[in-house]
Amino acid sequence: MKNFYIIILAVAVIGAGVVFYAIRGGSPALEPVDLGELGNAEMLELAQPAHVFGDPDAPITIMEFADYQCAGCMRFAGLVKPQVDAAYISTGRARLVFHDFPLINLHAHAFLAARAARCAGDQDRYADYHDLVFDTQNGWSVMESATGHFKELATQLELDADAFNDCLDSDRHADVVTANMRLGQAAGVNSTPTLFIHLGGGQAYQLGGAGFLDIQRAIESAGSGN
Amino acid sequence: MAIALLSLVGAFLAFYLLAANLGWTPPVPCGTGDCATVQSSEYATVGPVPVSGIGLAGYVALLALSLAGLQDRLSRSRLIPFLLFGGALFGVLFSGYLTYLEAAVIKAWCRYCVASAIIITIVFAATLPELKRIRTGGGR
Repeated sequence: MKNFYIIILAVAVIGAGVVFYAIRGGSPALEPVDLGELGNAEMLELAQPAHVFGDPDAPITIMEFADYQCAGCMRFAGLVKPQVDAAYISTGRARLVFHDFPLINLHAHAFLAARAARCAGDQDRYADYHDLVFDTQNGWSVMESATGHFKELATQLELDADAFNDCLDSDRHADVVTANMRLGQAAGVNSTPTLFIHLGGGQAYQLGGAGFLDIQRAIESAGSGN
Repeated sequence: MAIALLSLVGAFLAFYLLAANLGWTPPVPCGTGDCATVQSSEYATVGPVPVSGIGLAGYVALLALSLAGLQDRLSRSRLIPFLLFGGALFGVLFSGYLTYLEAAVIKAWCRYCVASAIIITIVFAATLPELKRIRTGGGR
């Protein structure tokens, strides 16, 4: 019987350690990766980011590849990004370059959502639309068709409805969203959200499913090398 | 004893899922098994209570009951095996329903939820001998 309690205690200690590590961990950046195609000027020209949050000339570049229908991206946008904003973006230390990476095999509305946000961007309201699409993800992601919802969001933001609807009903931005996907694939992105924190010299830290602490660790270890 | 050990493992698993649900963990990425989809679906909560919280409470209760049942003075109790069997039965049925939702409604699989379903099924199987204790009130 005494042995049993020792085993229970051992399992409890090991379990607590594993859970603590899992909660704290994420996928920490331990080694820099080559930027590869992310450093290819021609490829970057084709794959224009959807938006740049913060000062475009900020010394640190954080590149995000995200899917509007991904719940992990929604959590990143709602829980992690505000912390990154407060610590790095609003202070002018970093800019967050947002790229589309719709996981079209998993998420039926992700590509359309990416285009819809860019249509809002045509009216200079990308950031607001970005927030609204993520805020309402639970609702539209289970809809048969999300087109009406995306138009509704544009109305909520008091965008020019005719211009937005014309954009969404056309194939506008499909080429650049596709180029964003190719850029991500070429850089080895296979899940979202994936972040690249540029280190300079064609290298970056790559983070998947990162929490604020992971990002902070990567930025601080990157120092001022950007 | 197996029930206590498995319940402890299940409790840690449920705690991790609860932590993810409450936003204490980094976001679970999409594209590598779709835990994030399951966790953020409307079925991830019962009213305001996360399903993982219900799981955690269930595993902790099963752990406490199984440890209590190992005490000499409670070894002839009929209530403890009854509660163990009933709790595990509820757990396996609830888990079965959630697994059905993953397969047929959400159409995404969370490997931690599947692991929990396997654990509660084994726990339930391990409580079957308790039926004899319920009938006879016999000790171990």
